[in-house]
Amino acid sequence: MAEALELTADALTMEREWKTPDRGTVGIIFLIVTESALFLIFVLAYLVYIGKSVVGPYPKDVLEMPIAATVCLLSSSLTIVMAEHQLEKNRIGPFRLWWAITILLGLYFLYDTALEWKKLIYVDHLTISTNLFGTTFYSLVGLHASHVTVGMTFLLLVFTVSLLGFPIETQKRRVKFLSWYWHFVDWVWVIVFTVVYIVSAR
Amino acid sequence: MSVEEHHGEPGERTQETHVQLPAPTFWPMIFAFGVTLLLAGLVTFWAVSLIGFIIVLRAVWGWWHTVIPHEEHEYVAIEPEHRPAPILVEYRSVVRLTVGEEGHRAHLPVEVHPYTAGAVGGLVGGAAMAILACLYGLVREHSIWYPINLLAGVILPGMGNATAEQLRQFNAGVFGAALIGHICISILVGIVYAAIMPMFPKYAALWAGILVPLFWTGLTYPLIGILNPAMGEHISWPWFVVCQLAFGLCGGYVIARSTNIRTFQSKAFVERAGLEFPGSHPEKEPQ
Amino acid sequence: MASIDYPLERPAVSLEKGFAQHLYEWVATVDHKKLGLMYVVSALLFFVIAGLMAFVIRLQLMFPNGHVVGPDTFNRLFTMHGTTMVFLVGMPLVAGFANYLVPLMIGARDMAFPRLNAFGFWIFLFGGFLLYYSYIGGSGLYGAGSAPDVGWFANAPLTEKAFSRGHSTDYWALGILVSGVGSIASAINVIATAFSLRCPGMTLSRMPLFVWVMVVDSWLILVALPPLTAAQIMLMLDRYLGANFFNTQQGGSAVLWQHFFWIFGHPEVYILIFPAFAILSEVIPVFSRKPLFGRAAMVGAVVAIGFISLGVWAHHMFAVGMSSWSNTFFAGSSMLVGIPTGLKIFNWTATMYGGKLRLQTPLLYCCAFLFQFLVAGLTGIMLAVAPFDWQLHDSYFLIAHFHYTLMGGLVMGIFAGIYYWFPKAIGKMYNEKLGKWQFWLMIIGFNLTFLPQHIAGMLGMPRRIYTYAPGRGWELWNLLSSLGAMVQFVAVACLVWNLVHSALRGEPAGDDPWDGWTLEWATTSPPPEYNFEKLPVVRSSRPLWDMKHPHDPDWKYE
Repeated sequence: MAEALELTADALTMEREWKTPDRGTVGIIFLIVTESALFLIFVLAYLVYIGKSVVGPYPKDVLEMPIAATVCLLSSSLTIVMAEHQLEKNRIGPFRLWWAITILLGLYFLYDTALEWKKLIYVDHLTISTNLFGTTFYSLVGLHASHVTVGMTFLLLVFTVSLLGFPIETQKRRVKFLSWYWHFVDWVWVIVFTVVYIVSAR
Repeated sequence: MSVEEHHGEPGERTQETHVQLPAPTFWPMIFAFGVTLLLAGLVTFWAVSLIGFIIVLRAVWGWWHTVIPHEEHEYVAIEPEHRPAPILVEYRSVVRLTVGEEGHRAHLPVEVHPYTAGAVGGLVGGAAMAILACLYGLVREHSIWYPINLLAGVILPGMGNATAEQLRQFNAGVFGAALIGHICISILVGIVYAAIMPMFPKYAALWAGILVPLFWTGLTYPLIGILNPAMGEHISWPWFVVCQLAFGLCGGYVIARSTNIRTFQSKAFVERAGLEFPGSHPEKEPQ
Repeated sequence: MASIDYPLERPAVSLEKGFAQHLYEWVATVDHKKLGLMYVVSALLFFVIAGLMAFVIRLQLMFPNGHVVGPDTFNRLFTMHGTTMVFLVGMPLVAGFANYLVPLMIGARDMAFPRLNAFGFWIFLFGGFLLYYSYIGGSGLYGAGSAPDVGWFANAPLTEKAFSRGHSTDYWALGILVSGVGSIASAINVIATAFSLRCPGMTLSRMPLFVWVMVVDSWLILVALPPLTAAQIMLMLDRYLGANFFNTQQGGSAVLWQHFFWIFGHPEVYILIFPAFAILSEVIPVFSRKPLFGRAAMVGAVVAIGFISLGVWAHHMFAVGMSSWSNTFFAGSSMLVGIPTGLKIFNWTATMYGGKLRLQTPLLYCCAFLFQFLVAGLTGIMLAVAPFDWQLHDSYFLIAHFHYTLMGGLVMGIFAGIYYWFPKAIGKMYNEKLGKWQFWLMIIGFNLTFLPQHIAGMLGMPRRIYTYAPGRGWELWNLLSSLGAMVQFVAVACLVWNLVHSALRGEPAGDDPWDGWTLEWATTSPPPEYNFEKLPVVRSSRPLWDMKHPHDPDWKYE
C-alpha cells in the first residue's frame, strides 16, 4: 500500500515536470528540412549544367548582380525580427510598421526579379527553352521566387487581418513560425545568389 | 494491491466526464480535392484548373476558420461502459539475467586449448595423414613418392603437367617443397582446431574427428582443380577422405588431451592487469 | 473542473445513423485511427489492383509467344504495377501504420497536426485517383496516349515529349507528385507527434522501437521524397515549357534523371521496408515472450540505415558507365548498409532464441520475413558488386531480388502487422485457421513465383520483355513462376475473406488478446476516440508489463 502511494506521488511529479518540445517548432523545422532537400536538387542541377549550354546567351554575358534586391531581401530578415520583437511586447503599432517594411522589402525583391526576367526575355532573348542555362536559371530562381511569393502571401495575410482589427497578439506562435519560414527563404537566397551570380557568372 | 490504486497508469479512470479533441472538419479533404483538380487541369482542360483554384480558395477560407483565432475543439463524452477491462496482475515473477552470473557466459568461449597443443596436434595429425598417404602410394602406385609429388602441386603448379611415371620418381626439390608445405598447413590447421574446438556444440570429438574433415573434403572437392591441378587429375577421393579422417582423429585427440586455459576476457581484473599478491591467483597457490 | 461548460458536445449518437452521417463521420474525421484505417484499407485496395496487374503479367509470360495482352498493354501493366505498389501501396502503408499506432504507443490522444493529417490522406487518395484516371482520360483533349508506359522509374529521355506523346507521362508525374505531398505531410506529422506528444515518462529511450523506426522512416521521407518531386517538376517543365533538363540535343543529361530519381529511389526502398522492421520489432518480442534483444543496438542500427542509405543510390546505375571511383564508392557504401541490416536480423533471431514461441500467424509471417529478407539481402550484396551487376543488371535476377525484399520482406511484415493489430483496430479476432492457410499458401506461392526468376535471370532473361521465343531455357522457370502467382492469388483471396468475414462475424477479441506490453493494448479494442481516459504515465519501455507485474516491474531494472 505504501508503495502504491509512493508511486502515485511519483506519477504526479512526473506529470508536472514533464516537458516535450512544441509541436509547431518541430513541424516547422522539419518542413524547412524537406524544403532544403528540394532546393538542393535544383541547385545541384544548376551546378551540373554550368558551362554545358550548347548555344548562347551565357551567364557571364547577360547576368547582372541584383545587389539592391539582395540587400532588401536580407534586411527583411532583420525587420521581421524587429516586428516580432514588438509583437512580443504587445505593441501593435510598431509591429505593423516593421511588418509593413518587411513586406515592402520583399515586394521590391519580387519586382526586381520581374524586371530582371523581363530584360532577359525581351532584350537577351533567353527563355527557359533557349539553352541549359535558361532552363536551370529560370527553374532555380523561379523556385525561390515562388517561395518568396508564398511567404509574401502569408505576410500580407497577417498584415491585412491585423489592419482589420484582428487581435494579432493572440497568434504570436504562428507569427513566429511564419518569420522562421521567411528567414529560411532569405537564407536560401544567399545560396542561390552565390551559385547563380558568383559561381556561374564568372 | 489492485490495479485501480495506481495513479496515472494506462487505463486509469479520471474524474472528468469529457475529453477535449480536435473537431472534425472536411475542409482538408476539399482542399486536397482542389489541389488535385488544379493540377489535373494540366492533363485535361484549363477549366478544370480554374474550378480547382476556386475550390482551393473556398477550402482555405474554411480551413482558416477552423484554426483562427483558436483551433476548434469538441468535447467527447467518456463512455464508462467502454472502459478497458481491469488488467490482471500476475504474481509470477521473472528471472532476470545479469551479465557474469553463474552459468551465464558473457564471453564465448570461457576456456580454450593452448595454441601449443594445437601446433603439436597438427604435427601429429599431419604425420598420421602422411603415413596413410604414403601407404596409399605404396599399395596403389607402388611408390611412396607418388602422393608426396602430388601434394607439392599446391606450391609448384608445374606438377600439373607431370606424367604418372614422373610422379613416381623421387625428386629432392619437390620433396622439400611438399614437406615444408605439409608441415606448415598441418600446424596452421592444428591451431585453428585448438581455437574452434571449445566452441563446437556437444560431442566435440565427433565434430573434430569426423564431421570437420568431411566438411573440408566437401569444400576441397569443387576447388581442387584450382588449388592443385596435379592432385585434381590423379586424386583418389576415398583415400583422401581416409587421410583427412586420420588427421582429424589423431590431431583432435592430441588437442583434446591438453589442459584448457581460461580466455583472457573471462579472467578477473587483477589478473588481466598483471597484478600479483597473495591470494590473487588461487589456482597457482601451493596446496 | 466541474464548472467547465462543454459547448461543442455532439448530440448523443443515435443507433440508426443514416448513410450520410456515416459518410460525414469518415470524410470529416481528423481522428488518427480512422485516418490510419482508411490509409491501410485504400493501400490494400491498390494492392489488390496492382496484384491483379501482376497476375496478368504472369499469365502473359506463362508460355513462350504468349498472346494474353499486346506489347503496349504490357508496358502499361508493368508501369502501373510498379508505380502503384511503390507509391500507392507502400507509402500509404507507412503512413497508415504510423498514424494508427504512433499516438497509441506513446500515449497521445491524436497526431500533432490532425487536420494536416486528414489533408495528407485525402491528397494521397486523390493523387492515386488521378494516376488511375489516365486509363480513361489519358488521351485528354489533345491526342494519343493512355496509362503511363515508361516504367516506374520513367528513365529520360524516354519521357521527353518527343518519345512519349500525349499525356500518359504527365499523369505519372502529376499523380505521384500529388500523392507525394501527402507523404510529406504525414511524415512531418509523425515526427512532430513522436517528439512532442509523448505522455509523461515516455523518454526517447523508453519509446517503443516501432515509434523509433517510424520516426527515422519519416526523416527519410522528408529528405528523399523532395528529390523526386524536384525531378518531376523538371520533367514537367521539359514537357510543358520546353525546358532542356533531360533533352540531350541541347546538352541535357539523361543520366542526371537517373541520379535524381535514385537519390530518391534507393532511400525509398528503405522507407518501404521500415514499417516491416517496425512491426517485427513489436511482434517478435510479444510472441517470443522475451524483451527485444539489444534494444539500443536496434535503435542505433535503424538510425545508421537512415543515414547510410542516403549515400548508396548509384548502385542502381552501375550499367550507365560511371567512373570506376564512383562504382567503387557506391559498391562499398551499399555493402556498408548491409551491416546494420544484418545486425537487425541477428537481434530478431536472438530475441526468438530461447523464447517461449507462440507460433501464431503474426509470428509465422515474421519468421518468413527473416528467411526471405535474408535471401534478398544476400542477393543484394551480390548485386552491390559492380562487375556482377554488369552481368545481371535489368535481368529477372534483379526482379527476383527486389521482390524478395518488397514482397518477401515488406508484404510479409505488413501481413504480420495486420494480423497482430487487427483485433485491436476492429475489436474482433481473425480466423486463426484461415490465417495459417493463407500463410502457407503465401509462402509456397511466393517462393514458387520468385525463386525460379533468379535462375531465369541468370539464364539471361531481361526484365520488361512482353514475350520470349521458345528454346532459351526460360520456359520451365516462367511456367513455375506463373503457377506460383496463381497460388498467391488464392492466398490473397484468403486474406481478404478473412479480414472481411472476421470484421463482420468474428469473435470479440478482448482488450489484450496477445498479452502485449505496449500502451495500445492498455485501452479497449477498438480504442475510443480519445484513446485513453487519462493520459498514462510510464516508467519503462514496457509500461503494460509493469502494470501486469507490479511486484516485479521493468523500471526497477532500467
